[in-house]
Amino acid sequence: MAETSLPADVAPDPAPSPPTDGIVVRGVARSFGSVHALVGVDMHARAGRVTALVGPNGSGKTTLLLVLAGLLVPDAGEVRVGGVDPLADSRGARARTGWMPDAFGTWDSLTAREVLETFAAAYGIERAAARERALSLLATVHLAEFADRPASVLSRGQKQRLGLARALVHDPSVLLLDEPASGLDPRSRVDLRLLVRRLADEGKTVLVSSHVLTELEEMVDDAVFLSRGRTVDAPVVDARSGRRTWTVRALRLGALTDWLTTVGAQWRHEDPGFTPPDPAAAGGVLIEVDGDEGAAQLVRDAVAAGVPLTSLAPAGGSLEQAYLALEEERR
Amino acid sequence: MTTQVTLDETGAPQPARAPAPGVRRSGTWRLGWSGVRTVAVLELRQRVRSTRWIVALVVWFVVVGAITLLTTGALGALSGSDGATPEQTGPLLFSAVTFLVLGLGLLVTPTLTSTGINGDRNAGTLATLQVTLLSPAEIAAGKLLAAWAAACAFLVVSVPFLVLALAMGGTPAWSIVRVVLLVALLLAAVCGIGLGWSAVVARTAGSTVLTFVTVAGLVLFTPLLFGLTYPSISQERDVRVWAENANGTGCEWQTVPMTVASTERTWWLLGLNPFVVVADGAGTAEGVAENDYYPQEPLGAIRQGVRQLRAGEQVEQDQCWSAAPGATSPVTPQAVSRAPVWPWGLAANVALGVVGFVVAVRRLRVPQRTLARGTRVA
Repeated sequence: MAETSLPADVAPDPAPSPPTDGIVVRGVARSFGSVHALVGVDMHARAGRVTALVGPNGSGKTTLLLVLAGLLVPDAGEVRVGGVDPLADSRGARARTGWMPDAFGTWDSLTAREVLETFAAAYGIERAAARERALSLLATVHLAEFADRPASVLSRGQKQRLGLARALVHDPSVLLLDEPASGLDPRSRVDLRLLVRRLADEGKTVLVSSHVLTELEEMVDDAVFLSRGRTVDAPVVDARSGRRTWTVRALRLGALTDWLTTVGAQWRHEDPGFTPPDPAAAGGVLIEVDGDEGAAQLVRDAVAAGVPLTSLAPAGGSLEQAYLALEEERR
Repeated sequence: MTTQVTLDETGAPQPARAPAPGVRRSGTWRLGWSGVRTVAVLELRQRVRSTRWIVALVVWFVVVGAITLLTTGALGALSGSDGATPEQTGPLLFSAVTFLVLGLGLLVTPTLTSTGINGDRNAGTLATLQVTLLSPAEIAAGKLLAAWAAACAFLVVSVPFLVLALAMGGTPAWSIVRVVLLVALLLAAVCGIGLGWSAVVARTAGSTVLTFVTVAGLVLFTPLLFGLTYPSISQERDVRVWAENANGTGCEWQTVPMTVASTERTWWLLGLNPFVVVADGAGTAEGVAENDYYPQEPLGAIRQGVRQLRAGEQVEQDQCWSAAPGATSPVTPQAVSRAPVWPWGLAANVALGVVGFVVAVRRLRVPQRTLARGTRVA
């Protein structure tokens, strides 16, 4: 358990410089009537790192983020955000936290610039500074040209980017991003990834929940898995040495499968349930391989056996594999 | 691929759940002008741009203007027949415009705040405001201020017609100031009531209906209740009556059993009514109204009527109809207190508004422990 010890009874910190011990959650539970959204969550997201919050629909990701954002009181457990307890010092915690909800509502008739300036004012930033901050943030999320358009004309992805800018308006030390990549085009996803990495490099704590695991994989340092309201231990694969699934492709599928069968390898079709593909056509199969060493061995043997190999690549990321290995996939 | 995945273990359920953590909400009532202004400006911008605001004001102006002119015309036609002076039609018109503005204001104002909080919650914009450093009181006060400003815009548009009625004469000039202030305060109270309902009820339709029902309760149910309780406060009593004697030669004291209503016990129901508050506070025909003389215009008549009801039934009555003009009656005229009724009614209305505001502030506190049924936080 990679959890740092909590400072004994953290007092509300009057100093403006935020302590950087990230997000600490211990034994948090929260129910809505008979629905147990969170049962037992323990996690630590460190400052200066990007932590992924991964879990199926209904696993409690959004509820956990609401608790961390200081909107919900947990039924039990302890939370520290940037070293502050949101229950004891809600204001102090909110000053340090930037929260981007999964569904970002906007005031339709306000322009993008006004939305950001309003939020800057809501965080007590002076007008001149707020104007400057709004402009620089709009540039950061590539919405400068939409600064004076009403937020209602923005596309879903643009609204999402405006929501991200909104969460950053008071320069928080802890960022909670709920599905930030949803609705974003590929270019925006790359931008988001670079921005999130940059924020983490500045020493901020970033917690990202997402379903787009391949996207997450490229930006996160750590991951927390949630399942049925619990943080769970998922069989996580070390990319270099662990046993994981690879996709093998060849010019003629028949040649590949015949060879794999003769050497006794366990393989399966990429898409089970699909009618067996034409053995004479190009195609690929999935196969469990022990780390990079095993993959190199496979390539060597296949080429030596005359199989017209075209590619060998890990099937999905390690996050995805860990996710898929979670026992309770869907509720 | 360089991703390292670190896991925080556990998942074992806690054997004994720790007691729910305590929440300290010290900043709930922190109220700063810049915070209130931020929310109010946001609300007003949103309202002014999203609704056909100018259209609404123009329609209002036209409706109030049309009814004012029609009333003027009708009064003019009446005065043509029985020779009423502008001193008599002016106060009538002033009463009509006052009640029209108050009535329409009470119809429009509930819609300004009754979706203020649940509407934002449904649109997903409330939680994003709640996580900022704005205090719950600032959010609620900003919404209240914006709605009240909007209600006052309607009131201001109506002022020319009040001035017109004033110009016809017969109404003291301070009445217009008193009417505008009283209506503005009553509308502020309605704003507070709407805000409270919008914080309590999840659905916008529900909170709007409840706000209208509350306003209807003040306007319609108070006289209705007064009427319905009238039999229960009425009883047979022996009353000293100065009436004609049996042989018709003069008047004498008689003791007659009569049904007497103790309206001094229920007059306050009428005092709650916004129309009574404005009528009593308008101060029209002040001074001319004496005990048995009812002013010719509705505002003064209502004021006199309610004050009479507050005083209750007279203990002695003068029924000596045949007395010669100038003959002195031994009946002591009832002393009707001239203490105003409107402070009580206004205070009660404003108190309801304050309750609504306080409820809204309490419901806006974060972190939340309980959620309204059928709502999500964000």
